[in-house]
Amino acid sequence: MKGDSHQERGIISFHDFRRRRVKIGYGVMVVMLLAVAWTMIYPFLVTIFNAFKTKTDIYTFPPSLLPKDWVWTNFGEVLKYVDLGRHMTNTFLIFAGNMLFAVLFIGLAAFSLSHLKIPFRKGFTLFFMCTLMIPSATYMIPNYLNLQSLGLLNSYWAFWLPAAANAFWILLLKSFFDGIHKELFEAARMDGASEIRCFLQIAFPLSLPIIATILIFGFTQTWNEWYWAGVVITSPEKYPIASVIYKYVLSGETNNIQENVKFAILTIVMIPPLMIFAFLQKYIIRGVNLSSVKG
Amino acid sequence: MKTQLAAQKPTSGTRFLKHSRLYFWGLLFLIPEIVIFCVFLWKPIIMGIYYSLHDINFIRGNTFVGLQNYRDIIQDEAFFTAIGNTLWFVFLGLVMGYWVPAVAATAISELRKFKATARLVVYLPNIVPAVALYGMWRWLYEPIGPLNDFLTIFQLPPVEWLTDKSVAMFSIVLMNTWHYFGSTALIYLAAVMNIPKDLYEAAEMDGAGIWQRIKYITLPSIRHIFLLMLIMQLIANSQAYEPQLAMTGGGPNEATTTYMLMVVDGAFKQFAFGKASAMGVLLFVSLTLLSILLYALQRKGGDES
Repeated sequence: MKGDSHQERGIISFHDFRRRRVKIGYGVMVVMLLAVAWTMIYPFLVTIFNAFKTKTDIYTFPPSLLPKDWVWTNFGEVLKYVDLGRHMTNTFLIFAGNMLFAVLFIGLAAFSLSHLKIPFRKGFTLFFMCTLMIPSATYMIPNYLNLQSLGLLNSYWAFWLPAAANAFWILLLKSFFDGIHKELFEAARMDGASEIRCFLQIAFPLSLPIIATILIFGFTQTWNEWYWAGVVITSPEKYPIASVIYKYVLSGETNNIQENVKFAILTIVMIPPLMIFAFLQKYIIRGVNLSSVKG
Repeated sequence: MKTQLAAQKPTSGTRFLKHSRLYFWGLLFLIPEIVIFCVFLWKPIIMGIYYSLHDINFIRGNTFVGLQNYRDIIQDEAFFTAIGNTLWFVFLGLVMGYWVPAVAATAISELRKFKATARLVVYLPNIVPAVALYGMWRWLYEPIGPLNDFLTIFQLPPVEWLTDKSVAMFSIVLMNTWHYFGSTALIYLAAVMNIPKDLYEAAEMDGAGIWQRIKYITLPSIRHIFLLMLIMQLIANSQAYEPQLAMTGGGPNEATTTYMLMVVDGAFKQFAFGKASAMGVLLFVSLTLLSILLYALQRKGGDES
């Protein structure tokens, strides 16, 4: 390690570290970062541990982090209030449809913009990319009225079809396709492959990493979306999980849910994103860095 | 040469055929996406103006009312309160949240060990689904909850985090900062780690202290990200309504009713869709002006370097 010290230095050099003031300063920085780390983790611990507390335990002041007696019954009681299976299936249905339409239509368009002969290439690109500049909240109400006039309210088509109207994803896929050599497709065409086969059997398999990133973006978005879904869907049994939790657990329409059961529900909705994060970190970090390209 | 070209020039009919064969696949692949953009993005964007000039009624149909919706908005005192609240929210976001990711990223980049762990930990809050976030923080902000318990350690009186008019917006910004700062910090971190170490080495040789190195090397190297994040944060925060709706419902006493919260309440609670559309149009105009201004600033900032 010593030999690498030149590579490893940051703003503070190894030479600086011989000074006492720098050592103390570094120590203070580490302590502050530990405090930040604790602040990041503490709310998670509160939520998870509260899910295991008894009713009397949760209302004692001052609150303790760990439960006095660990109980699992809260998780069973969740099912009395929320039909988890049904609503998670709903969320999954919305997600699957969104991704099917988004990846198919966006993929085809990005492939066309990137590798096919089209007239007015600049104009079409502008037609899509302009929408990146328009803040989504500003057309939220007309968007609702539009879905209403198309008769799509209270149907998952209201999510599935507009899922492909995403200029950011076109940008991601197009710049990925731009990196694939043209010769690859030309060779395939010489061998008699149609454009559809070029797309499905060459471009699509090659772009799986970026599609994985889009799938994670899409999952997070669908799993989080509670307001818009609650407005577009009018029959409660069709709600995705986030909207149900907002309506029946948070907004207080059903007041009789105890706090410890609430926390059991919150813990359950955190599990899928946590799992995805644990297993697909690589793609998520890439996604974060890509999102800075958006601006 | 000229005659040859002329001879080869096909009639307009066959040229169209030739072109259409040339462009067939390209256009075929493009058309579904164009249709979707027209129907679900461009149509609502443009129809916003149409709806803002109408009284929207699902049963009787829409009637043209001219600028009446806009007049109603301007005569509504709540409109100006909402603008004030939104500006206050944006301002608090800048003061409390904007600098945090950059400082955290610089500190993490200096860690000798556990850099990767630190990176994961700061990103962790980002993966909390919104509804879980609200449930979690409502508990932290309970009058007898963990935060007030924490204050008693320092002998401080309890704070009414969500029910005190002057504190509620502050509490929402604190929660938002906790939720989002990690992903921004990762963007800064990547930029800070990319700075060539030779620059620091050279500066140190020339006798620059640690603060001077930060001031003259680190900060200028990540300046473009500062600007980009400023633009993104300003535009995102001026459209915020979900945390306010979920945490306080716009209260206490309308103190957290942001502009967009007034829009969605107007549409989906009072069913005043025309008025809500008009407010959307006004937001569109002001945000577009803001982003043009900021992009111009960014361009100017870019020229100097």
